[in-house]
Amino acid sequence: MIQGGMIMVRFLIGRGHDGPARIGQIEIGSIKLKSPLIMGPSSIKPDIVSAVKDKMEYETPSIISLGSIFSKTNSFNEEEINSNLFLLPSLPSASFLKDSDITAVLELQLAALVEVNPPNAIVRIPSSISTMLLEEYVKKFHEQGVSGAIFTFNGDYGRNDLNNILLKTKLPRNWLILSTGKILPATVPLLFYLGFDIIDAGLGEAAAAESIRLWSLSFEKIDSKDTPRFCACSACHNHDDLSLLSQSQLEEVLRAHNSIVYRSVLSECVSSMKQGKLRWLVESFTHAGPSLTGLLRQVDNQSYDFLEEFTPTTGKSVLPLIGPESYNSPAVRRYREYLADRYKPPETKKIVLLLPCSARKPYSDSKSHKRFSNIIESAIGSKNRAIAETILTSPLGVVPRELERGFPLANYDIPVTGFWDAEETQIASDLLVNHMKKFDESTVIIAHVSGGYLDIVKNAEPNISQSIIYTTGDESASSRNSLDNLRETLTDVTQVLDIKGGRPTSLEDTLRATADFQFGPGAGALLIPPDAKVGGKVYGTIICRLDKEQLCAFIGSTGHISLTLAGAQRIAELQRYWVRFEGDTVKGSTLFAIGINDADDAIRPGDEVIILDLKDNIIAVGRSEMSGREMCDFDNGRAVSIRHKVG
Amino acid sequence: MTVIPKSLIETIRNATIRARGRSIAKRHKKIMTRPAAAWTARAKIGNDIGTALSLVLATKGCSYARGEQGGCTMCSYLLDGTERQPSHEELISQFQGAMEKLSDESKPLSVKIYTSGSFLDTDEVPQETRDEILGIISNDDRIVEVVIESRPEFILDEVMVQTRAILGERQIEIGMGLESSNDVVRDICVNKGFTLAEFKKAVEIAKQHQIGTRAYILLKPPFLTEKNALDDSITTIEDAVKLGVTTISINPVNIQKFTMVEDLWRNGLYRSPWLWTVVEVLRESYKNVGGSVFILCDPVAAGKRRGTHNCGVCDKQIVNAIRDFSLNQDASVLESLDCSCKASWKHTLTHEDVSLLVHNDRKLW
Repeated sequence: MIQGGMIMVRFLIGRGHDGPARIGQIEIGSIKLKSPLIMGPSSIKPDIVSAVKDKMEYETPSIISLGSIFSKTNSFNEEEINSNLFLLPSLPSASFLKDSDITAVLELQLAALVEVNPPNAIVRIPSSISTMLLEEYVKKFHEQGVSGAIFTFNGDYGRNDLNNILLKTKLPRNWLILSTGKILPATVPLLFYLGFDIIDAGLGEAAAAESIRLWSLSFEKIDSKDTPRFCACSACHNHDDLSLLSQSQLEEVLRAHNSIVYRSVLSECVSSMKQGKLRWLVESFTHAGPSLTGLLRQVDNQSYDFLEEFTPTTGKSVLPLIGPESYNSPAVRRYREYLADRYKPPETKKIVLLLPCSARKPYSDSKSHKRFSNIIESAIGSKNRAIAETILTSPLGVVPRELERGFPLANYDIPVTGFWDAEETQIASDLLVNHMKKFDESTVIIAHVSGGYLDIVKNAEPNISQSIIYTTGDESASSRNSLDNLRETLTDVTQVLDIKGGRPTSLEDTLRATADFQFGPGAGALLIPPDAKVGGKVYGTIICRLDKEQLCAFIGSTGHISLTLAGAQRIAELQRYWVRFEGDTVKGSTLFAIGINDADDAIRPGDEVIILDLKDNIIAVGRSEMSGREMCDFDNGRAVSIRHKVG
Repeated sequence: MTVIPKSLIETIRNATIRARGRSIAKRHKKIMTRPAAAWTARAKIGNDIGTALSLVLATKGCSYARGEQGGCTMCSYLLDGTERQPSHEELISQFQGAMEKLSDESKPLSVKIYTSGSFLDTDEVPQETRDEILGIISNDDRIVEVVIESRPEFILDEVMVQTRAILGERQIEIGMGLESSNDVVRDICVNKGFTLAEFKKAVEIAKQHQIGTRAYILLKPPFLTEKNALDDSITTIEDAVKLGVTTISINPVNIQKFTMVEDLWRNGLYRSPWLWTVVEVLRESYKNVGGSVFILCDPVAAGKRRGTHNCGVCDKQIVNAIRDFSLNQDASVLESLDCSCKASWKHTLTHEDVSLLVHNDRKLW
């Protein structure tokens, strides 16, 4: 990527993750542009201008299309070559082609590299290419110094557009990715979320030509038939009635307005990403239309692994989970998968108490759960160590009390109506059935739930081998009668099962469950051995020490465990969540991707990770800022924020 | 020029053959003694205005379209063909039937003989039949101009000698589908099956016998952007005039049944050219070569979704201007045309080249 000793184009990916979306910096020659960017014809005054080859009236830097293979050739001088990005020539209707001819189309693009500087070139990927051929050619283009690709969307949200997205997930993470074609403002959040860095708003010009004013979720035809909507944007605010303008004046106003809409949606995306709310924004925008919603569902279904890889495992902001698009959003589905794969109930548990969720998080802080807690305490006192408090909720399904402070459990917010749809009920039932398999058959389930929660249990009951006692009748779980009933049931069951009281175990239970959840099965047992001293408060900090040396700390406000070097040592044998650093010692508080030789590909942004040197010695612990694969692929960027280091 | 890999040409050929495959079975039974079509119209004949008879002989169809190369990507004329080759008598009867339309007309007349293939291909029209048809014309003094159509490979010296001998002093013009002067476009996008050099040779042979040539220019073959199509036709017209053709006839692609172009169109991957593009080609070409040759355009299905079209509001006015220009060769009728859809066309000219997305008629609003 170096020509004449100078790097012409560089794409630096910035800090922060919320799914595959990224902010970054594109350096073209000496010019630095912050991504994401809206591109478009100069008439709409975009962030970066897209121009065609035979028109030399472009600003620098621009994205210059070499057009189709039939476009007139026009050569560029060295300065032009170095100060712009170039879209390589291909065929319109290329999605008509099959692999055998796509090879030809890609070979033509490789051949066209002689006209431009490869680092400035962007390869066009036909939507009908197979993954295998794509990977073969990505390698070829990469060897030539190309690291940018563009996909053409037709705006149908059908096969073509879905293919583009699925293909995009196969490209190297450090490539600059562009989208062009018919892209409505409502599609921008989805594209940004998926990691597109430059988005074409050329449709804004087409719309203006037809007197269409675009809005983030809809559009409006400006004519004398109807009073135009109110708009205070800088393009519209001087015109009381757009329908009175001449055709050409109107077109100019609408170009500017439409461009503003694209840019304002994109800036909302960036801000939402920084707040950890991008997924919510994406879900909200897909309701612009059924086919866009359908596209998101397809993407969730077909590229979950890709989305999940870049979805943080920690977060502070409220996570609204509003509609069916949230049921399988990556953070939600990952929680359910982790619960199934990683959670192991403490051995003291003999009774599973099923409780309804609460609007307030963590549940323990809610009025209803405080009431449940008082009943348990007054009914059975220290025998409560035998009870596995288990909360039913949508769309996360089943939440053991020990995990309630973690992400996204302490963060999610759902509309509470008491009505559950069939999919929500099924998700929770399936998870409950699976969850109960982890308990002994002699365990007794007390279902202190009503309404939709009760339906979950009833739905699951045929597939659960333990016996279930229902305590609410037809009343709410918080009603006097239900609570009295719960008290009696708890007293009876502990007597029948001959459960003895003892030392409380909630601190250890929380630590071990969280450790298993964060580092995988077995971590809890290694990190919190039976002879460890555990102290603190579950809502504050829990410290675990062994022989006076701290191993880890649980922070109640995040529900997250942080390791010490000694703690890292204890779980090192699991060979998970490791990052291999190429140096001997870590300096400073940040580890950059350039220094990372290899990393566990299970690492997600936000994970607690262990830094090893080349000889497998533990040299630091910290919090990951990117996924494991990115740490390996990227040549720059903050990979790990160091918490503790050797020396 | 870009070197196009063989495999791409093969694919387009195969797609054309696939599209054609279904069509042969769909051919209607034809009455062998009547022409497939015949009509008369006012036309420019030399420097006068007279009546032109156009007739399409029903033959078994273009041998190139029937052959293993699959025919052209946009052409379904094979559909007009008959299931068996008509006899000599049947062909003569077809021609005489059409000629009756001229019985009440007076000099100057023009006769245009089409076959949905090549009139000079003896496989389609045996020499005996051709000689007799031309003989009938030579006996009619009102006819001062004869136009026939053929692929260039059938324009051989001895055929020109015979034709000139029979028709005497009459104006003769042979129409040939050059389509594009760009060999790559003609090869890949049209699957035409001959080179520019072969076309040039045919023009020269005809010229030696004072036989004029009319180049058919295909406006917007598939796989071209609107801008590519505009540029390609303007260049092609200049090139054709340099080769010595006597008339330019611009044919904006219309979407015919059982063609590859139709398959693309159904998938949203093709739009027939804008009328604005036709107007622009006419204007530019008139500036470049007007006066030295006639520039004609009689667009098929104009204003319809399958033909060259604009927004639907202005189409009629523009088609009329195009026809007016063809008849009178006066470019001023093209100057004052306007419509709000012109902005959409201008957007297409650039944004299609940026996105390489075919800007079809489907609206997102």
